[in-house]
Amino acid sequence: MPALTRHIHPGWLIIAPLLVLVMALYLGPILNILWLSVTDPEPGFGNYAKLGESDALIRIVWTTVRICIITTLFSVTLGYSIAYAMVHCHQRQKNYMLTLLLVSFWISILVRTFSWLMLLGRKGLVNVTLEDIGLIAEPIAFMRNELGVLIGMIHYMIPYAVLPLLVSMQSLDMRVMDASRNLGASGSQTFWRIYLPLTTPGIVASTLLVFILSLGFYVTPAVLGGGKVLMVAEYISVQLLVTLKWGTAAMLAAIMLMGVLAMLWVMSRFMKLSTVFGGAAR
Amino acid sequence: MHDKQFMKETLQDSAHAYKEGRMDRRTFLALCGASGVALNAVLAGDAEAAADHVVMWNWGGQSEECHGSAIGDAFTASTGKGLKFDTSGPLEGKIKEMVDSGNVTADVADADLFNAVSLGPTGHLEPIDYSVVSKDKTLPGYALEHGVSVILYGYAFVYDTEAYGDNPPQNWADFFDTAKFPGMRSLYKWANGSLEAALMADGVAGDALYPLDMDRALAKITSIKDNSLYWGSGSEAHSMVVNGEVSMGMVWQNRGRNIENDTDGRYKLVNNQALAMPGAYIVPKGNPAGAAVMQFIATAQEVPAQLALLDCLGMTPSNPAAFGQIPDDQQDYAITSAKNIDKIVYNDPDWWGKNGGDAVNAFLEAIS
Amino acid sequence: MAEPNQTGSLQVRNVSKLFGTFKAVNDISLDIRKGEFLTLLGPSGSGKTTLLMMIAGFLDISEGDIALDEASIANVPAEKRNFGMVFQGYALFPHMTVRDNIGYALSVRKRPAAEITARVDEMLELVQLQEFADRKPAQLSGGQQQRVALARALCFAPPVLLLDEPLGALDKKLRVEVQEQLKDIHRRVGTTFIYVTHDQEEALSMSDRIVIMRDGAIEQVGTPKELYERPINQFTAGFLGKSNFIQHNGKTFALRPEKIDLRASASHPDARLSGTVRSVTYFGSMQRVIVDASDGTEIEVDIDVWRNSETLREGDAVDLLWTDDAAVELQMG
Repeated sequence: MPALTRHIHPGWLIIAPLLVLVMALYLGPILNILWLSVTDPEPGFGNYAKLGESDALIRIVWTTVRICIITTLFSVTLGYSIAYAMVHCHQRQKNYMLTLLLVSFWISILVRTFSWLMLLGRKGLVNVTLEDIGLIAEPIAFMRNELGVLIGMIHYMIPYAVLPLLVSMQSLDMRVMDASRNLGASGSQTFWRIYLPLTTPGIVASTLLVFILSLGFYVTPAVLGGGKVLMVAEYISVQLLVTLKWGTAAMLAAIMLMGVLAMLWVMSRFMKLSTVFGGAAR
Repeated sequence: MHDKQFMKETLQDSAHAYKEGRMDRRTFLALCGASGVALNAVLAGDAEAAADHVVMWNWGGQSEECHGSAIGDAFTASTGKGLKFDTSGPLEGKIKEMVDSGNVTADVADADLFNAVSLGPTGHLEPIDYSVVSKDKTLPGYALEHGVSVILYGYAFVYDTEAYGDNPPQNWADFFDTAKFPGMRSLYKWANGSLEAALMADGVAGDALYPLDMDRALAKITSIKDNSLYWGSGSEAHSMVVNGEVSMGMVWQNRGRNIENDTDGRYKLVNNQALAMPGAYIVPKGNPAGAAVMQFIATAQEVPAQLALLDCLGMTPSNPAAFGQIPDDQQDYAITSAKNIDKIVYNDPDWWGKNGGDAVNAFLEAIS
Repeated sequence: MAEPNQTGSLQVRNVSKLFGTFKAVNDISLDIRKGEFLTLLGPSGSGKTTLLMMIAGFLDISEGDIALDEASIANVPAEKRNFGMVFQGYALFPHMTVRDNIGYALSVRKRPAAEITARVDEMLELVQLQEFADRKPAQLSGGQQQRVALARALCFAPPVLLLDEPLGALDKKLRVEVQEQLKDIHRRVGTTFIYVTHDQEEALSMSDRIVIMRDGAIEQVGTPKELYERPINQFTAGFLGKSNFIQHNGKTFALRPEKIDLRASASHPDARLSGTVRSVTYFGSMQRVIVDASDGTEIEVDIDVWRNSETLREGDAVDLLWTDDAAVELQMG
């Protein structure tokens, strides 16, 4: 026992039951998915081979990746401006903005999705108004296509993008920005050379969060895409619930999991992930 | 009194959820605490009640109320057993998962007849006991070993009378003809009905649809893809029409009357060439109420229940004895009414049960 | 190493700073000479940092004007003033190497790379950090960081260098060492240094002139010697070094502890005051004697140990003596 405790911090013993529980409840299902992907409907890598054989599967994966990248790009860019405005405006306005941000967190995704239809649909407020004042003859197809999916997803993701950026910006030492100005740097030089690099961990955290959440998007693409924008999450759900091709579903889930892990690994080559997830910088 | 009833139902639902692991213990205890009920009382009461009722697994919404009044009341009167609901929607994958997990909590699922073809042979369903349920009280071919059709619903379409006033579309050929009838269309996203409609539009006779020629059907579907939206639920189909997103929309026929009302008659239902889908009751293997559920299915086949379901949900009777009793105000909407029955075509559950998964995937891949 | 500075004198004219209704700086006028080491000294809240921030351009001037060589800079933004600054806590760029930190000012001015390299090397040599050029600030000690901040601020040869409590984060021993280095660097570069501190020893040892501030206003300006020898009021006398305050004929005089002589025998003919020793504390180079004077005041006396071999004990009766010019008459306040 003394030999054991010399090597293992006694703290581990205290959290061991919890660890076992987490392993069982978290790792168990994941292993089950991986297992399913090589055993259903028959043992082997047949499910994975489908990726090579089926243009459609590749297209669905590519659509998903493309939409997630564009969503992430816009959400993080817009989120960056919002977080910047929040950090650098008066406390009162900041509180208003934070409230609005949190309120949009609380509104259900279905309500938000259908609100976009009412606003930007063929007979939505915007199209009707533009037609009434004679700016357009035919309604603009904002919704029920990939553009609609992107609008809905970006809107949903912005609060998720803002929060890590807000944390990152709030922890900045603003005297460093003063120092840059004092040394003769213009506002934009200070931003590009000092502010942006120092908020990079926030940008990375925000990007990872939004991208990974976007991968699992289901309701918004299904509704706003008009059925024509098929993303992996919805396809997996159909394979599980309707067509009973659980092996295909498990394979796609495994691919997504691997993709996310690979992304984290690549990130970890460039920076310490602990700084991204709020750990100390040193 | 009403509040108490609500509380009891909430707690018993929660007890189910807790037992199934869908709700954590703390939440469940908090609910019990909030209502002043001891944990044991709820769990014990629930267990005791299990043999006293049949659990119907349906899609929620209005159907809960309608199944209760149309079938549940008569079932309770004749057997003394109650009717409870699980409204989470018995998709094929969920039924398979429930049976595979060994924790079967539903007695009868409001499903499609083709589910009986795909899930029956794999051992996920109880066979229908035709000594209790009648093969004659449904259409021929719709009383299968593991499921029996209790109602029919149709894939029909509605069109915008303002767009095509003088020369309205008559059939699926018109529906797919965007040159003659310009405008947006909506179709069902999970392939049922859409494939058959496409083949009929392409000239296949209604009684020669099966086996479906997938390539031909998908070619027709993709020919109007740029003008098409696809819906995944009845309410979505409804809103695409009511919000004016489409000039012609495929809908479930039972929604037709609501759409006509909601648009003040601007959109009109066409039941010509409607595809009759056999909605079926199927029994998950090892259902808790056992054989008692067969009596419930038999009750649903009776003419009063058939007419009540039509009245309440717009679901068309599948018992031929009820066809003649369809009231005048439902003649336009019920697909087995005297007015419509000669114009409709019939779905083949056998083909769908065996080929449905591949067909849905091929369809999804074609439209995305 | 001296920079060919043609500029570097600053004129502060009736400058005030209001935060709401609060006057943080109240009507200050000050001439800062080219190349001098000027210290703004005062307790916290005296307005010294606020004045520095207005000179740097980080704060707007509410009233008055600030000019560089007689040309107003009140409307010149901070980044155009070309003043170097060493910040409290240094504010180094944590993501850049020491070399990039120091070269930043030249780099944002888009100077040729070769020029930047050469100039940074020169600066690294000035602050003795050649071997740390490629480290990040977090890998340096506090004293080294302070030198990087100094080199960064001096790299573009500013006419004026502003230092905001630059030694505040260092421990006492290191601080004395760095003071020497700072003074040496000031001598070599010839830039005007404006130095903010609340540490009187720092101010005395480094400055050409000291500005003593209180409540947003200047109390007194002068060389360290002038201020020490001729404080004009009780605040200056008390803030800069220690002082006894003697009342005589309705006037107040400041009397430094080291300028008092103690005699053990009573009734000395030249005695100004007599009293009893309350305590004696030995400090090595001197001893501090607290005397309860006969007029009821408490007088602090520092005496050289080597000159006074007699041993004083608590309770001894003593006479206190000083020369006429040792006591400085103070203005009221």
